[in-house]
Amino acid sequence: MHTVTSVDLQQIGTDIWAAILGMVLQPADALAHHGEEVRVVTGCVQITGDWSGAVTVQCSAHLARVATAVMFGSTPDDVTEDEVCDTVGELANMTGGNVKSLLPGSCQLSLPAVTTGRDYHVFIPGAEVVDRVTADCNGELVVMTMLERRG
Amino acid sequence: MKILVVDDSKAMRAIVKRALSTLDRVAGAQILEAADGREAFGTVQSERPDLILSDWNMPEMNGIELLQALNDAGTSVTFGFVTSESTPEMHELARAHGAKFLVSKPFTPESIDQALAKAI
Repeated sequence: MHTVTSVDLQQIGTDIWAAILGMVLQPADALAHHGEEVRVVTGCVQITGDWSGAVTVQCSAHLARVATAVMFGSTPDDVTEDEVCDTVGELANMTGGNVKSLLPGSCQLSLPAVTTGRDYHVFIPGAEVVDRVTADCNGELVVMTMLERRG
Repeated sequence: MKILVVDDSKAMRAIVKRALSTLDRVAGAQILEAADGREAFGTVQSERPDLILSDWNMPEMNGIELLQALNDAGTSVTFGFVTSESTPEMHELARAHGAKFLVSKPFTPESIDQALAKAI
């Protein structure tokens, strides 16, 4: 059973976006989700070992471009798709790494995978969402989840 | 001074470089980059950096494998980790292999400066 509470995932995300991007995450409606028409970018890292599951970070493609521009010292219009994927992947990497540091036992962190598109869900076979945290970043939604493999 | 920044994320390399550029301690340093441990090992042989800041989890050759390879090659260089993975076990493993510091992501320029103050 995991030991990370919703508050931890919120705080982890808040600290990362503030320290790395200088962007503030405020708690948002727990049930908020991106509309089907919104193009979103999702970064995912898997954790294996004494605890098995995954951590995802999702935001709109627009917010991802803003964050990428900050990362690269560029502008949202000038960043490339590769740079956007790199940025969101790294946000997932940092979030997952900080979650992993709170888990008992010995665990390993995968390299990040990034998905972009509209109206999709990320499934990890055999895993279910055990924590879902939403945040508002300058009016845009950020969703962080923790999935745990059962059995 | 030459500093080698090793991370498979180009975005993170940019962030680390930007943080280093704000530090008086390494003012004027030439900052090199490598995208994984294997590339970094080659760069160390050709460029002889004074300091390496390396991520841990990377494809091809991860950070601890890079440090071990440098040790095996008899290469003496100040080495530290900048990584999102920061368990006590990893701190100990890094220390056992000769790393001078491990800075956790997310970091601030100040946290990197504090680590460098003890290492260089």
